[in-house]
Order: sequence, then structure tokens, then C-alpha cells
Amino acid sequence: MKTFRELNYPGRLVAVEGLDGSGKSTQIYLLKRWLEAEGIKVYFSEWNSSELVKSATSKGKKRELLTPTTFSLIHATDFADRYERHLLPLLRAGYVVLCDRYVFTAFARDVVRGCPPEWVRGVYNFAALPDLTFFFKSDLEVSLQRILDGRPKLKFFEAGMDLRLSTDPYESFRIFQGRILEQYLAMSREFDFLVMDANQAAEKQQVLVRKLVREHIDLSKFKRQGPLPLPPSVRREKRAEPPVAVVAVEEEAGV
Amino acid sequence: MKKQSAVQKTARRFYGHGIPGVNPEQLAGKLIAVEGADGSGRSTQIAQLVGWLETGGHPTVQVGLKRSTLVSEELARAQEGNILSRTTLGLFYATDFADQLENMILPALRAGFIVLADRYIYTLMARDMVRGMDEAWLKNLYGIALEPDGVFYLSVEPEELVQRNLAKSATLDYWESGMDLGLSRDLFDSFVQYQIRMQAAFRHLQKTYGFEIIDANRPVEAVTRELRKKISGLMNGG
Repeated sequence: MKTFRELNYPGRLVAVEGLDGSGKSTQIYLLKRWLEAEGIKVYFSEWNSSELVKSATSKGKKRELLTPTTFSLIHATDFADRYERHLLPLLRAGYVVLCDRYVFTAFARDVVRGCPPEWVRGVYNFAALPDLTFFFKSDLEVSLQRILDGRPKLKFFEAGMDLRLSTDPYESFRIFQGRILEQYLAMSREFDFLVMDANQAAEKQQVLVRKLVREHIDLSKFKRQGPLPLPPSVRREKRAEPPVAVVAVEEEAGV
Repeated sequence: MKKQSAVQKTARRFYGHGIPGVNPEQLAGKLIAVEGADGSGRSTQIAQLVGWLETGGHPTVQVGLKRSTLVSEELARAQEGNILSRTTLGLFYATDFADQLENMILPALRAGFIVLADRYIYTLMARDMVRGMDEAWLKNLYGIALEPDGVFYLSVEPEELVQRNLAKSATLDYWESGMDLGLSRDLFDSFVQYQIRMQAAFRHLQKTYGFEIIDANRPVEAVTRELRKKISGLMNGG
């Protein structure tokens, strides 16, 4: 597996990984806001969000139809759809693509569920590696507390109840998350994770995230040169508006 | 898991890692797959076989493509929209297959049923290969599949397939014509070219998976006779 840079894509892909409650989504959101403000062509994609596959996944989860194999495959389908329809064209067009979870989430979760690691990796080997992968490493107890404080009711698969680790969802969640953490740590060196101390204050982490992104990616190459031309009818109405509005329209055009 | 008393004579196996936690030796029934394009007489032959097997006292279950509870509706909807890329399409079908494998095929075999598969992984692999997917990738993906006791590929010349499909529905199916491949804008030409490629892919897969190629250009009865003979053989022998 090679990175997008190694494959000579004009774009770059930055991924965040970590346990639920590690604060990774907050960090990537703040990263996105910064890049947008800098005028960078940026696109954000979330795990498990393909419109095409969503209804099947939620049906499978709600009705508890999923086995480790089908759980793995349906998420791979979801990923493939986003990868082929959004990520690849955007990376060809020189975007900085931000992914909240990437293939490593599957590598960790599916293996904990009992799928053979080589099989899972083989299924995802159509995907290139991120140019940067941040791993938000938090103490298990800290992550657990963040999730358990905010959301008292845990969903079946989220808690890993399908693994029959415990009849108590909270206990099951703890064991499940602990095993996922082990998988992440084992992959950390192999995939060059940038390991972040997720127990630190969010602001402090974000300073470091931005610094590392600037160090690894020459952001000046990813700036939008000028606003995209708008369709004629829109162009007339929008002409007088401040630049902020133009940025918002650009975003739509980029999606 | 309970132990089945009857142990298979021929070793039952998955092509690869299989399904976590499933011991293939506990699957006592028989798995028979019939492959072939639309118009190859596949459905007719399967209906014949079900009747024949059930009359003979064998409990029988049928599975086929796009019949899973999990994703069949979503897959059909996605295909209508014509927005599926090849990896997504391939994985969607693999999910559909895995769901039926775990929820239909394996339980039925465990209970000693005969499972008739109206197409199995070979059609899925051939389709993906024709669309340029990597063969090693496909082999790994379908390493979840159980090796059937018998696989019969009903081979019909593309020119004959066109005639049969048109006689049946007066048009050619978008996907069975491989229109997503952009081989030709002409539906007829595309169908013929696509089916030629599918046959080549099947012949290639046959070398690895060693299934039987049945000449289905012949009348229905002749094909039925041959299938019965071969299936009788594997029921008694294995």
C-alpha cells in the first residue's frame, strides 16, 4: 500500500483515528475550519456516511442482522462508495481530503470481531494510504468516561454486544474498546501514525495538529486560485456579496 | 456448537479463511451451484432440479444473487441509479452473498439440506474481473465462500443468448449487456461483446475452481438429463 503522495496524486489525504470519545472528531473539525479560512481546497468525509449504503447498514444494525463478516463487508462497501465517488476525484483535483476514520478503523474493529487480519486488509487494499494519519491516544478510562457521561444508552454494535463479551452493555463496551485500543497500538508503527496525546486540552492538541499538517503538507499548493465561476443566473445575484459568501458557494461546488 | 455425527467423506472446505467460528466439517448437506448468463436456461433447470430432488425426498433450499435480507433492496436501488463504481458494486454483491451464506446456506447445510444456488461466487468474480478488478483481490474477498459439492456452468453462445433474451422480453438487460463498461452504445453489440468477455472470464476461473461446463446450447431436456446424472453421481459418491 502506498500513500497518495507516493502515487503522485495532486491532493493529500489526512486521516484521524482513535477510540470513540478520544476527541478526534473535534480535532479534525477544527483542522477543517482552519484550512477553509486559509483558502485551501478541503473536503471532509466521515466513516459510514455513504448515502448509497446507509439504509442497509442502519437496517442491519437496528435488526441485529450483522455478523462479523457482513459487518466488515457492508462498511467496506460504504468506504468504497465514498472512495471511488468522492475521495479519488477530489484527490485528483488537488484537494486536501480530511477523513474522520479511515481503513484502520476497519482493521481494528473487524479483527476484534474475529475476522482474519489478512482478509480484512486484503479487502481494503484497493485504497491508498493517507499521507498523514493522526492517532488520538487517550487513556481508556478517559474515552469511556466521555462517551458514558454524554450518552447513557449504548447501541448494540457500538458496545460490541455482538461479541457476547458481557451481558452488561457498559461492561461490554469497556472490554470492546480496550481490545480496539490494543489493535490501534499494534498498528501504530507499521502505518506511521502521528500519535497525539489526547488527554491534553483540545486547544493545545489543535496547535500541534496544525503545526504538523503545515510541516508535512506544503499548503500553498492547495489554495484555490480564484473563486469558481458560478452559473449565470447565480452569478448576477451573488456578485455584490462579501467574500465569506463566496467561500460557502465554493464549498458546495467542491462537494 | 453441537457436533454432527455424520462426517463428510470428501473434505469440506472454505476457499480461504471462511467464516469465523464455522467448522466446515459440521456441514452435512450438499451445496450445488448452477452458473450461467440470463437466457442460459438456468432458472428452468433449477426449477426442474428442485422438483426432482424434492420428489426424491431431499429437503431443498434455494439461494441466489440479490436475495439477502440485508442489502438486496439497497443494491437494486443503487443499480437503478447507475452511480455505482466497480469496487462498490463488487463489495455490495459480496455483502449480499455473505449474508445469504451465513443466514441461509450454512444453517441449511448444517441441517442436512440440499442447497441449490442460482449462481454463486463465480458469476460475481467473472463480472468483477470483466470490470478490471484484481483477481488476487477477488480471491481473498471470496475466501469466505464454501466450496460447493458441484458447480455447473451452463454455457451458451452469445449469439444464441441474444436470441433467447429477445424472444423472452423483447429487450436486453442493462447490466447483462455490460452497458456500464461503455463497450458500445448499441445495446445489441454491447450485449454480445460483454457476454464474450464473461465467457472468457468463466473459462479462466474454471482452471482454478474446476467446475463443470455444460453445453446449454442443446434442448432443455438434454441439459436436464445431464444435470440429473451428474448430481445423482455426487449425491451417491460424496
